[in-house]
Amino acid sequence: MVLEATMICIDNSEWMRNGDYSPNRFQAQADAVNLICGAKTQSNPENTVGILTMAGKGVRVLVTPTSDLGKILACMHGLEIGGEMNLAAGIQVAQLALKHRQNKKQQQRIIVFVGSPVKYDKKVLELIGRKLKKNSVALDIVNFGEEDQDKSEKLEALLAAVNNNDSSHIVHVPPGPSALSDVLISTPIFTGDGEGGSGFAAAAAGGVSGFEFGVDPNLDPELALALRVSMEEERARQEAAAKKAAEEAAKQEKGEEQSTSQDTTMTDNVNPETSEPEKKTNDLMDDENALLQQALAMSMDDSSSTVAVRDTDMSDASADDHDLQLALQLSVQDGAVEQSNQTDMNKLLADQSFMSSILASLPGVDPNDPHVKDLLASMQSQSENKEDDKAPKEEEKK
Amino acid sequence: MACLHDHSCEEHDCSSDWSLYKHVDLSKVSALNEAVSGSVKSVFRAWEQRLNSSEGYLESNEGDPELIVFIPFTSDVKLKSISIVGGADGTSPAKMRAFINRDGIDFSDAQNMQPVQEWDLVENLQGVLEYQTRYSRFQSVGNITLHFPDNFGGDTTQIHYIGLKGEATQLKRDVVATIVYELMPNPSDHKTRAETGGGLSQVE
Repeated sequence: MVLEATMICIDNSEWMRNGDYSPNRFQAQADAVNLICGAKTQSNPENTVGILTMAGKGVRVLVTPTSDLGKILACMHGLEIGGEMNLAAGIQVAQLALKHRQNKKQQQRIIVFVGSPVKYDKKVLELIGRKLKKNSVALDIVNFGEEDQDKSEKLEALLAAVNNNDSSHIVHVPPGPSALSDVLISTPIFTGDGEGGSGFAAAAAGGVSGFEFGVDPNLDPELALALRVSMEEERARQEAAAKKAAEEAAKQEKGEEQSTSQDTTMTDNVNPETSEPEKKTNDLMDDENALLQQALAMSMDDSSSTVAVRDTDMSDASADDHDLQLALQLSVQDGAVEQSNQTDMNKLLADQSFMSSILASLPGVDPNDPHVKDLLASMQSQSENKEDDKAPKEEEKK
Repeated sequence: MACLHDHSCEEHDCSSDWSLYKHVDLSKVSALNEAVSGSVKSVFRAWEQRLNSSEGYLESNEGDPELIVFIPFTSDVKLKSISIVGGADGTSPAKMRAFINRDGIDFSDAQNMQPVQEWDLVENLQGVLEYQTRYSRFQSVGNITLHFPDNFGGDTTQIHYIGLKGEATQLKRDVVATIVYELMPNPSDHKTRAETGGGLSQVE
């Protein structure tokens, strides 16, 4: 968003007829110029851009620095190719045009396209560069087209003389399949000294966006917002899950009270028909550890406090079991996945003997306790009611 | 034009005289041909600190002793005299040319224009010399541009301190405060007390 006045120096010499850039060098250059003008005027509405040609009959200023993009693009029409480029005169006229800019607060910048060989000495160019630096004018050089032995060297020397604090840049564009403008988009000439890709440059790059979620908030604000909100929700849930895991580690020592509450939670477990990651149960079915499966079943409930309670019971039961711990953590994190498959869970819970064995292994729970027996009986009846559901579901699953 | 200032000043407080640095709009101070961008801001300090350039000083680019310093003020000032502390070994500026209330002067402008006043400087490492201005010409200075075309033979020009002596008026230039623009005149906005009291004359 730097406030800048830019003069673009175009090479319209005979060397621009060559077709090594498609369709020809001049057209590639014109496209690049159009893109730069757009980028500059968009990054700050008070920026001004001017254009001059360096070849032809002599250096000619087509449009003095203006913020009117239409005027700039219009003057690019009907440009003729011919003559020889005069680099030194071009840069000096550009400097003069910038000196008489209307808004003295703007930084001065010259962008020069060098497509033909440079006939000036290195010394002359360095002198020009130093004069630009003295008057705090930045210079961007686009080296394309003809490549002879001294050209790069001379241009690099010019850049070194002008460069003040990395405000000036040089870009070498060899002929190739990609267009001149595409190569320039990723350079600091477009992005403006590392301010970050401007919205214009990102859009012009056609899909390679620097935006989060790959969606331009300007183009589709609702989608971008929805994506961002869901990302934040996911993050919040994961944080909550991590907190739960931390809590259960802290609650390792609790005993009897937890087990009585466990009875009620077991009934709760049957009813809410929510999350069960099918993939995980399938994996665990292979595991011979009954407690592991039980831990999984225990963790199916969404309510956080009960999960914590039940998980602590399980960790009580088999504190040394690393697989169990792993499964606990996995299940806690994955708790919110919505699936409607409960056949496995129901099967586990319906298995009377299985449940008794579980209860027996828990500290402080006596299977012969009348309360526990009542509970088991009620669960059994509930699972019988669900058999109708179970059968078709199992068929679906298979 | 240069007067010797006695360093032991019991009669009056030097620092209050040289307090115009407080009225310099530091954010808008700029220099041309400075080696380190932004270093020009460090040369405006209190009188007591004039020899203490630990925060940095203004130096021109290698091999080029010319410098232009643009100093805007926060309000119009009356400038009485200027003091410059340069660097050692010939890096002190030898000449100073001043332009008043002009924006955006660069080197070609500075060389072609007639300055408001010009001084030949001497090496003034202790900061005891001050250069008086033709006071009548410096009565309402909104900004001043100092051009130093030469030095005493050094490779670069160094300026460690610029002191400004004078008075600040409370007037400001070019400051447009809150202005209410009317697209269509609305007479009810312009009722005077007489009109509200009367009642016979009405504007439709």
